[in-house]
Amino acid sequence: MNKKDRQQAIWFTVSGFFMLMTLAVLAAILYSIFKSGAAVISWEFLVDAPRRNMTAGGIMPALVGTFYVSSLTVLIAVPLGITSAIYLNEYARQGTIVRIIRLSIRNLSGVPSIVYGLFGLGLLAATFRLGTSLLTSALTLAIMSLPWVITASEEALKAVPASFREGGLALGATKWQTIRQLVLPNAVPGMATGSILALARAAGETAPIILTGAAFFLPNLPTALSDRFMALPYHLFILSTQHTQIERVRPLAYGTALVLVALVLLLNMAAIIWRYQMRKKQTW
Amino acid sequence: MPELGDAKKIQLPLRGQRDAYIADKLTEGVKKSHLANFFIEKFFFLCGLTTIVILVLILGFLLDKSWPAIQEVGLQEFLFQTRWMPSSPIEAGFGALPFILGSIFVTVGALIIAVPWGIFSAVYIGEVAPFRLKEALKPLIEILAIFPSVVMGFIALVVLAPLIGEIFGLTSGLIGLTGAIILGIMTLPTIISIAEDAITSVPNDYREAAYALGASRWQTVRYVSLPAASSGIVAAIMLGFGRAVGETMAVLMAAGNALSMPVREILGLPFPTLMKSVRTLTANIAIEGSDVAWGSLHYHSLFVLGLILFIMTFAVNLIADIMLTRFQEVNRNE
Amino acid sequence: MQTNNNNNNNNNNNNVFEVENLNLWYGKTQALKDVSVKIEGRKVTAIIGPSGCGKSTFLKVLNRLISLIPSVKISGSVQFHGKDIFSDGINLVNLRALVGMVFQKPNPFPKSIFDNVAFGPRIHGKKTKSELADLVENSLKKAALWEEVKDRLHEPGVSLSGGQQQRLCIARALANEPEVILMDEPTSALDPSATLKIEDLVRSLREQYHIIVVTHNMQQAGRVSDNTLFFLNGELIEADTTEKIFTNPKDKRTEDYITGRFG
Ligand SMILES: Nc1ncnc2c1ncn2[C@@H]1O[C@H](COP(=O)(O)OP(=O)(O)O)[C@@H](O)[C@H]1O
Ligand SMILES: [Mg+2]
Repeated sequence: MNKKDRQQAIWFTVSGFFMLMTLAVLAAILYSIFKSGAAVISWEFLVDAPRRNMTAGGIMPALVGTFYVSSLTVLIAVPLGITSAIYLNEYARQGTIVRIIRLSIRNLSGVPSIVYGLFGLGLLAATFRLGTSLLTSALTLAIMSLPWVITASEEALKAVPASFREGGLALGATKWQTIRQLVLPNAVPGMATGSILALARAAGETAPIILTGAAFFLPNLPTALSDRFMALPYHLFILSTQHTQIERVRPLAYGTALVLVALVLLLNMAAIIWRYQMRKKQTW
Repeated sequence: MPELGDAKKIQLPLRGQRDAYIADKLTEGVKKSHLANFFIEKFFFLCGLTTIVILVLILGFLLDKSWPAIQEVGLQEFLFQTRWMPSSPIEAGFGALPFILGSIFVTVGALIIAVPWGIFSAVYIGEVAPFRLKEALKPLIEILAIFPSVVMGFIALVVLAPLIGEIFGLTSGLIGLTGAIILGIMTLPTIISIAEDAITSVPNDYREAAYALGASRWQTVRYVSLPAASSGIVAAIMLGFGRAVGETMAVLMAAGNALSMPVREILGLPFPTLMKSVRTLTANIAIEGSDVAWGSLHYHSLFVLGLILFIMTFAVNLIADIMLTRFQEVNRNE
Repeated sequence: MQTNNNNNNNNNNNNVFEVENLNLWYGKTQALKDVSVKIEGRKVTAIIGPSGCGKSTFLKVLNRLISLIPSVKISGSVQFHGKDIFSDGINLVNLRALVGMVFQKPNPFPKSIFDNVAFGPRIHGKKTKSELADLVENSLKKAALWEEVKDRLHEPGVSLSGGQQQRLCIARALANEPEVILMDEPTSALDPSATLKIEDLVRSLREQYHIIVVTHNMQQAGRVSDNTLFFLNGELIEADTTEKIFTNPKDKRTEDYITGRFG
C-alpha cells in the first residue's frame, strides 16, 4: 500500500466513522424514546385525561388539542398555499413581482418559529382581539406553514407535463379550464403529500403555540375556536421541565414523547407511501 | 380506407360561403370571456401576494411593537447592557447582551460540531458509500430532520445532560454545551444534504481530469470536489446558522437558561464559554412571552428581542440565498 | 349543405390562410422572416424543412398557440378566412376550436378514451349524453379508431398503443368540428405501420378539412400532400404544388434539400 492509498483509506474511514455516528445518534434517540415510552403506553394512556395534578392518567386532551390545531392549520394554509402556487406556476410571468414573491417565500421559511409566535401574540391575539385561543394558534401555525405548502404545491404543478396544458389550450379550453380540468387533478397527489408533511410539522411545533393559546392544563376539551387547548408538544415540555414533581412524571413524559414521535413519523410515512403509490399509478 | 363508410361525411364548404360564419365565430362573446378570465387571473394574483403581505406585516409589526420600548429604553441598552430585569419595579434593566451572545455562542458551538460531522458524512454518502447504501442512508438522515424540536430538547434533557454533567463533574448538565450539541445534531441533516448535493453536483469532467492525473479518489474529493463545492457548503453553513439561531425548544430545554453572560474571566479578560448555563434570545421570549402583561414595557421589550432575532436570521438567510443561487448558476454554466 | 360547384358568386379564391410579411422573434432571435403565403383550402399542405427552421413556430402561429410564450413578438398579418387573427377582439377559444392541432408526441390526457374525445365538446358547452356519445363515435370513426376501441371506451387513453394514441388525439381534435387541422410531425414518434395508418387517415380527411402537416420525412410529404411549403432558417423558400416542388423546384436550395444534398 503506498502513501496515497493509505491516506485515502484513513480519510474514508474517518468519513465512515462520522456517518456511523450520525446513525448512532438516530438510533439512540429512537431507542431511548421507544424503550422508555413503550412501558407507559396503554389504551388508558391515550384515552384518559391527566389526573392527580398530572402525575397519573393519560394524554387524551393534548392529543385531541393537537389534532384540532393542526387540522385547522392545514385547513387554513392549504387553500392559500395552493392558490399562491397556482399563481406562481400557471399565471405569473417572470418579472419583479415574482422575484419579490419568491424572495419573501424563502425568507418566511427562515423566520424563527418563536417570531411567528410573537407575531400571532401581538397581532392576532392582542391587536385583532382573538385572544390566546385555538384560532390564534392555528392561524399562526398556518402562516408559518405557508412557505412549505407553496413550495410543495409548486413542485406538484411543475410535475404535470406541459403537453397537457398545450393540448387543452389547443382544443380551445380557456386557461382556467385547462388548469381546473387537466392540471389540478394531476397535481393533487403531490399537493396532498405536501399538505400531510405540513400537518406533521405543525403538529410538532411548540414555540408558536406557547405564546398564542396552548394551555398548561384544562379540565375540558376545547369546544369553540376561542377556547384555549392542550397540545402534545407543549404537554411534553410541561411534563419534562415545568412540573413540580419532574422525576415522578418522567415516565409520562416519555410516553408523551413516544406518541408525538410516532404521530409525526406515521404522518411522514403515510405521505411517502401515498406519493409512491400515486407515482406507480401515474401513467405519464 | 378503413371504417370511413359509416362516419358522417361533411363536405367542407368553400370560402365564399364560410367567411361570414367564421368571422362571426372569431368575434363572438369575446368581452364576456375576457372579463371572466380577467377576474380569475386577478384572484390568483392576489393570492400570490399573500406571502409578500405577511412578510411586510411581520417586519412592520415587529418594528411597531418594539418602538415604544426602543424609544423609552434606547437601542443602546438592549444591545450592549448586561442586566435583564424588565419588570423590576425598582430599577428595570433591559440589557439583552447575554441573550444575544448566548444565541451566537450556542449556535457557533453547534456549527463547530455539525460542520465537520456533516461534511464527513456527506463525503461518505457522496463518495464512499455504494449506490444501494447511499439510497438507504438518505431517508434515514431525513428522519433526523423530522423530530419535533421539543422532542430533541427532551432527549437533551434526559439523555445528553446527565452524560455531560458526569463527564465534566457538574451538578447540572444543563449548560450551553448541551444546547450546542443538540442544536448541532438538529442542523446535521441540513448540512449533510446540501453538502452532499454540492459534492455530487461537481461536474464529472473535473473529477475525471483529476483521476487522469493520477489522483486518488480521496485526493480528488479533497482537492477538487470539496473546493469546487465550497461556496455551496458555506451556504449550507449559513442556512444552518439561521436555523439554529432561531431554534427555540431544544435550547430552552437543554441550555439551562441562566440570566448571566456566557463568558468566563481568564486573567481578567472575558472569554466566551459554553460551560455554564446559557439563555438565548429565543428561550427568553418563550419563557417570558406566555405570561407577560400585554402592552407593558416588558411586553414591548420582548418584541425588540424578536426584531433582533428577525434581523439576524433575515441577514444570514439572505446571504446564504445569494451564495446558493450563485453556486447553482456557476454550476449550470459549466 | 352546399357543395363546391356553386362557389362562384362572391369570392373566387379558396385560401383558408393568407399570411403576409410575417416576422416572428423569440426575444431577440428571429424565428420567422418575412413569410408571405396563401394556404389553399380543401387541400393537404405539407411543410418541410430541416429541424429548427421554424415549421412548428409557423404552425403555432395559425392557432395562436404561439401567444402563450411571453417573449414572442410578431409583425405582419395572418388572415383566417379573411379575418386577421392577431387583431383585437379575437375569441381565441373559438379560433382554437376551429383550428385544431395534433402534436408531435401523442398527448392523450390521463382520462378515459371517451373523455379524451369528449373534452373539447364539453368545454364548448355540449352537455347532453346522446349528443356527446354521437360526437365521440363519429369522431372516432373519422379517425379510423372506432373499431379498435368501441368496446373499451372507458379505459384510459394512455392504455392504447402509440399509433392509436395519436389517432385518439386526432379524434379529439375532430370532435371540436374544426375547419382546419394542424399536425406537427404527427408520425415522428410512431413505427412504420402506425405511420401508414395516419397517412391514410390524412388522405381520407382532406375532403372534409383543410389540413396542414409538418413533416421532415420527404416521402411522407410526397405521399399525402397536394401543396408543399419549404422553410429554411425561418424563411419560406418555396411554396408550390407538391408535384412541382418534388419534380421541378425553382430554387436551388429546395432542390438540394429534396435530393438530400443538405447539411
Ligand atoms: N419557446 C422558444 N423560445 C425560444 N426559441 C425558440 C422557442 N421555440 C423555438 N425556438 C427557436 O426557434 C427556431 C424554430 O424552432 P421550431 O419552430 O421549433 O423549428 P422546427 O419545428 O422547424 O424544428 C429554432 O431555432 C428554435 O431554437
Ligand atoms: Mg418542430
